[in-house]
Amino acid sequence: MLLLALRNLTRRPLRNALTLSGLAVAVAVLACLSAFGQGYRSQLGSELDRMGMQVMLVPLGCPYDAAARVLKGKTLDNSLPASALTLAQHDPAVAVAAPLLMVALPRPSEGRTDMWVGLDRAALPLKPWWRMKSHVTPGSNWFPSDDSVILGAEAAVTEAREPGDKFYSPETGQTLRVAGVLERSGTSDDSLFFVPLATAQKMFHQPGRLTAIALRLRDPALISEATTRLQRIPGAQVVTLTEMMGTFLNLVGSVRTLLLAIAVLAVTISTLSVFNTLLAAVVERTGEFSIMRALGASRSQVFGLITIESLLLTGLGSACGMGLAAGLGYGFENIVKQWVPFAPSGSLLSLTSSVMLRCILISFGVGIGASLYPAWQASRLHPADAVKMD
Amino acid sequence: MPSPPKPSQTSPSLPVVEAVELTKIYHRGREEVRALNAATFRIERGEFVAVVGPSGAGKSTLLNLLGCMDAPTSGTLRITGQEVQGLSDQQRTRLRREQIGFVFQHFGLMPTLTVAENIALPTLFARRRLAQRVDELLEQVALSHRRNHRPHELSGGEMQRVAIARALVNNPQMLLADEPTGNLDTATGDTIISLFQQLHQAGLTVVVVTHNTPLASATQRQLTLRDGRVD
Ligand SMILES: Nc1ncnc2c1ncn2[C@@H]1O[C@H](COP(=O)(O)OP(=O)(O)OP(=O)(O)O)[C@@H](O)[C@H]1O
Ligand SMILES: [Mg+2]
Repeated sequence: MLLLALRNLTRRPLRNALTLSGLAVAVAVLACLSAFGQGYRSQLGSELDRMGMQVMLVPLGCPYDAAARVLKGKTLDNSLPASALTLAQHDPAVAVAAPLLMVALPRPSEGRTDMWVGLDRAALPLKPWWRMKSHVTPGSNWFPSDDSVILGAEAAVTEAREPGDKFYSPETGQTLRVAGVLERSGTSDDSLFFVPLATAQKMFHQPGRLTAIALRLRDPALISEATTRLQRIPGAQVVTLTEMMGTFLNLVGSVRTLLLAIAVLAVTISTLSVFNTLLAAVVERTGEFSIMRALGASRSQVFGLITIESLLLTGLGSACGMGLAAGLGYGFENIVKQWVPFAPSGSLLSLTSSVMLRCILISFGVGIGASLYPAWQASRLHPADAVKMD
Repeated sequence: MPSPPKPSQTSPSLPVVEAVELTKIYHRGREEVRALNAATFRIERGEFVAVVGPSGAGKSTLLNLLGCMDAPTSGTLRITGQEVQGLSDQQRTRLRREQIGFVFQHFGLMPTLTVAENIALPTLFARRRLAQRVDELLEQVALSHRRNHRPHELSGGEMQRVAIARALVNNPQMLLADEPTGNLDTATGDTIISLFQQLHQAGLTVVVVTHNTPLASATQRQLTLRDGRVD
């Protein structure tokens, strides 16, 4: 029976191949989406864990946008008033308050924009995972002098600088010395230029300006009372990272819903195309089914034959789709990353067995669903008609 | 030489076919077509019978009823002693599968299957495995050298021999053929006729519908139909 079904699939190679590829694409999209959702959640969680801070003070405006920009190393248009830092430092729940200045330095000649971050020593405890190749004191994690710059791994590669090299920034006219290069961390830090806060304020002519203050609390349990107090600081607003993660997941959720709708559409279309292929095959082979009935095939055997053919088609289609997802999924991932706010730098795709199982189940459902009507049609054919058929 | 069919499970004294007032009415819109009108006849075990008559006389209709492919409108029909009017589709399918072999004018081979697979097809529906039987039959119809060919690679006579082998694979009580030589030239038709004769001599009940005089005269008896009635 299986052999018969298989043979029948090979007789309309083009039509079946088209149906197959449609289904493969649908399954691939579906597989990528499910994999993406799971990957994003776990990546985001681990990245936020490494931030070392629980709360951030940002200028007034859209708080999540501001927080996302700070985390991704992008500039803000607004600034925090200087008083915010003092008030934050004096809050009893705050263990560390690290002022940050982030400046975008457009470099038209290079065709890109560099991100500079000014930070002071207070930021160090927030980056416990900073590992750096340093020439000054091995293991040192800080700027030895005011004209020091620490390069992210990516930035060091594009600038072709090693620790100890001179670094001239033509746009600002500043000469700096590379104090260290961070080891690749897979976060946004990789592409940043770090300088002491005061140096940053001087070189970008923004004395006293702060764009954000990263806070670490003495005890994460104090977060709600600390938030209430910090909210009273004029000109600043509070963003907690857990809150932010929730918002990101929501945002990602809506993007996913949109993509899921596309995937559902793709699956629906491919179901219809499987249905169409089978129905055409049944119409075309009416005579054969009548003859099979005349030769002693029962209705359920004819029904079963069509169902097997359908499952072979969808099974093969979903196998191709899975391959496609594994092969092209990473390209897809890059596209999706641009859509998604605060995309973590790690891989978002996790083609786990549960994702694959889900896709296989769906294509199984497609196979059964699309074959019901054609199979019923074929099984209703009358054996007596076999005599009249060619 | 053809191997004799398996001995029948039913008593040899019973006729293979017993039809009493057998009637089949088709509905074409509002019009009623009496394709078969109260036909009464018997076919004994081991007989070789030709069903003849003008076009539209109801020959194919009769053969379909004998083959349990259709249910009669009224009358009684016993196949190997079993009454078949009033049987469900499922029961008729089983009877057809186990007792009857059918040969079509247009051969009706599955184009995607090889000769051997085509012959084995009814055993698949009967859920049996009879590889040896396929070899036997291939030899009997002198097509062993064609076993792995596809139908489109065969001549008409070869295709009809494959179809006959396929009809015999489940060891039927009766072989039915509707115009088996209708699509063949005279010489090829003659080989099919002699194959039927061999099967008859080996003890099989054979019923053929035909317009072909040589085939009709090769049989023992002719059942003539006219307007749905047996003459
Ligand atoms: N499925 C059907 N629906 C309606 N009428 C039918 C059907 N099958 C046969 N008939 C009619 O029944 C009558 C007998 O048909 P049948 O096919 O048995 O004739 P036949 O003797 O085999 O003719 P031929 O020698 O041309 O094959 C014809 O008038 C035919 O038109
Ligand atoms: Mg006819």
